[in-house]
Amino acid sequence: MIDAILNTFTVGGLIWLSVTLCCYAISVKVNLFFNGHPASHPLVITVSLVGLALLLSNMGVPQYQQSVSLLHWLLGPVTVALALPIFKQWQKLKHYGWRLFASIAVGGVLAPLLAWFTLYALGSPVTLQLTMLAKSITTPLAMEATAQIGGIPALAAVFVITTGIVGAVVSNSVFLLCRVISPEAQGIALGTVAHAVGTAKAIHMGEDVTAMATLGLCINGLLTAFILPLLFSMVL
Amino acid sequence: MLQLKNTFIGAFAILLAYYGGVFLSASLGLPIPGPLLGLVLLLFLLFAFPNIETHTTLVAQPLLKHMSVLFVPAVLGVGMYWSDIEANAMALVLAIGFTTALSLGLTAWVANKLMKKKSM
Repeated sequence: MIDAILNTFTVGGLIWLSVTLCCYAISVKVNLFFNGHPASHPLVITVSLVGLALLLSNMGVPQYQQSVSLLHWLLGPVTVALALPIFKQWQKLKHYGWRLFASIAVGGVLAPLLAWFTLYALGSPVTLQLTMLAKSITTPLAMEATAQIGGIPALAAVFVITTGIVGAVVSNSVFLLCRVISPEAQGIALGTVAHAVGTAKAIHMGEDVTAMATLGLCINGLLTAFILPLLFSMVL
Repeated sequence: MLQLKNTFIGAFAILLAYYGGVFLSASLGLPIPGPLLGLVLLLFLLFAFPNIETHTTLVAQPLLKHMSVLFVPAVLGVGMYWSDIEANAMALVLAIGFTTALSLGLTAWVANKLMKKKSM
């Protein structure tokens, strides 16, 4: 924390932090303009803008990462903050009980296994396979879990966001195709498989959907991030 | 003024849970990431002292709402792995595109069957 703060209060730190935050503010506006469409996710636009700025100013990515290390450090506290939505939805969690956990477990196990199997069957390198295992959980948890099991955290972030965008974009057609109209079921599927991006999409679909998506996001993230490293520490 | 004080209390609770989790994970040599233990600690704190919910919300809500910006440095680092991505482009597209749609459908279908009996 001290390092991160010290890095921030240098000329480079202050400049690049402001650049990043400005790019983010623009991205949020653009996302709003497109009515919150998942393909215009603020992260996609912010990364493109900051990437362009780095290119134009001839700045290396490692240097940039050091000057904005405060942002990266905040990933820890934001992970901790996920306790709050779980606490707020506790009544719903108790109400649905094992049915909720069973539904989340289906998505939480299927999504990574199917993705891993695709890479395994097509002969991709092991690091990519390992990184893919965390693709359906929210980014801060996915990065922590991937680091523990020997994957690549930076790639995990990209896989996770892409998964979220794909899930949110196809969700309407998928639910229509599977004839799922229950808001609870839609919410659980969106939160479990498409994490925070799916939950953002759920906000447009109603309060019931959002509450269940939040639970799916938190429970699946928590369980996956607990089970993956434990499993690997036992096997290796 | 009160708002500021409450924000400090909220930030303190989150940092306490965070460093508690990091300390536990490191000192016990657990394979579980420290921030994850911190999440569980904060959940315990919230159940033990339910009135700190408003304080933590003041800090947690903006953090959670804008967490996308926190991934920017990590995602920019992905350029280093570009050759890996290119070499496995087809597999990655299938693994992320196709299986995500499939898992989404299957999860929704199972949840639909299970939850039907217990709608609120």
